[in-house]
Amino acid sequence: MAFIEIGGKQIELDEDGFVVNPDEWTDEVAIMFAEGEGIKELTEDHWKVIRYLRDYYKQFQVAPMVRKMCKQTGYSLKQIYELFPSGPAKGACKLAGLPKPTGCV
Amino acid sequence: MPEYKGMVQPVRATLEEMRKIHIEPVPDELKPEKAIEYLDQIRKKFRSFVMAMESCTKCGQCAENCHTYLGTRDPNNIPTNRAELIRKIYKRYFTLEGRWFGKLVGAEDISLDVIEQWYSYFYQCSQCRRCAHVCPFGIDTCEVTFIGRQLLHWLGITPKLHASVGAAMERVGNHTNLPKPGIVDTLEFMSEEIMDEFGVEVEFPVDKPDSDIMYIPSSADFLLNPYTLMGAGMFFTYIGANWTIPSTVTEAGNFGLLFDQYWTQRGNVMRLLNAAQELGIKKIVWGECGHGWRAAKMYIPSLADRPVRWPIVHIHDEIANMIRNKELKLDPSKNSKPVTLHDPCNYVRACGLNENMRTIIRAVTTDFREMTPHGMDNFCCGGGSAILFDDPEMYQRRILLSQKKAEQVRATGVGKNGDGILCAPCSICKAQLYPMVEEHELGVEVKGLVDLVGKALVWK
Repeated sequence: MAFIEIGGKQIELDEDGFVVNPDEWTDEVAIMFAEGEGIKELTEDHWKVIRYLRDYYKQFQVAPMVRKMCKQTGYSLKQIYELFPSGPAKGACKLAGLPKPTGCV
Repeated sequence: MPEYKGMVQPVRATLEEMRKIHIEPVPDELKPEKAIEYLDQIRKKFRSFVMAMESCTKCGQCAENCHTYLGTRDPNNIPTNRAELIRKIYKRYFTLEGRWFGKLVGAEDISLDVIEQWYSYFYQCSQCRRCAHVCPFGIDTCEVTFIGRQLLHWLGITPKLHASVGAAMERVGNHTNLPKPGIVDTLEFMSEEIMDEFGVEVEFPVDKPDSDIMYIPSSADFLLNPYTLMGAGMFFTYIGANWTIPSTVTEAGNFGLLFDQYWTQRGNVMRLLNAAQELGIKKIVWGECGHGWRAAKMYIPSLADRPVRWPIVHIHDEIANMIRNKELKLDPSKNSKPVTLHDPCNYVRACGLNENMRTIIRAVTTDFREMTPHGMDNFCCGGGSAILFDDPEMYQRRILLSQKKAEQVRATGVGKNGDGILCAPCSICKAQLYPMVEEHELGVEVKGLVDLVGKALVWK
């Protein structure tokens, strides 16, 4: 198992680099992951998507439909890809500390 | 990067993940002898497998008919050579000539290296059965891949992707870990979207008792394929159906078919039958999912532990019947972009779902162009059997595996102006093709078939 260390605390990651326990996530995790994703700086736009995903996950224990995420945050899928080059699942969900989506996705 | 002695391999499930799907992995030092023990059990049970082991004459017909070989040009990806990875072991332990003459007759001792070879190549095969379709002896090499993967699973080697889907299915009843509140929330969102775009009121009843129809959607539709869900909801509403979606089996797929037909596949079937019994339904209608439809249509009768008293039908067959009976008013000009159809392998080569897809697509689009070859002869999307691995090495392989499909789409010319539609009515095909149409710059958007029906319905 891989770990990242933030503020002296170890956070466990899975083989794909996703946070294993979403409750351990902090803003610093997103900032650290952003570097690995080639995102120079997390802007308000990024945080808006990240916060939306976290709130949705907290309520439903699953990531929202991509279309719903776009509609509720006001960003088109193209803009989501501009913000998170690895896309909604491997990019945005990962930064937001959600588990990696499974299945035919 | 997962690789073993130069062979690509998908990321495998951890010990803990294997235990979640009821497997205690065999320690490496015992794997070779256990593999032989399992192989012996299986060869005594499946004549289709023995036939593949004993009858192949290496005529080579399958080679150029396999998209995996065409994309990779790796000789081990020629279907007969892939089967040879097990056949050489079968020969060594279960045939007279192999026991006596060993290597001279192509037999080989089992070893960890061989098992790792199985893991690499049986997960590059997409179980599309195009090789079986062209084999002059009727050998179904897909059966060999099935058995290769089953042996690996028993030994404790299963891709993380497949294992996590197996665990999710057992935990919540679908592959994408959707709990009931998430299912309901997404369906309510779909109702709003339909109202916004089509001005029609459509409800998606969940777990409604005494429904006539139990609709089994693919759970991927809840994340990635909104128009497939919307189209189904609009269709059922249009025909005035008393229908429901079960929250305990919100899943058309059955990955058991792909890695563990003994337990996982059977377990999923029982789950479905329990839901049908509980809801008191009269008919089960299947959503867009290729391997899942094969698992449902062709395997449920023999895997069920009880009589199955409900008809199980595919939504495409339902829609096509109604089109033939002129019970749907459709406006094909609602889908006027150039469109081509990618045949999901399991529909056309395993379930006889072929002409009905065309009946529908001709009725709901104005510019339909067949790709060549198509129908039963069609090539796989390259993601079949959920080899949708996304670590960098395996993702590159997916691009190679979809090369043949890309050539086919390009040749239709539908994407020439960048506004074409590639209709691929299966969740695995969709998940594979969404990124692949970008990688190959095909100028098309990927859609389901029910998606196009929903758009073409003319409401009173």
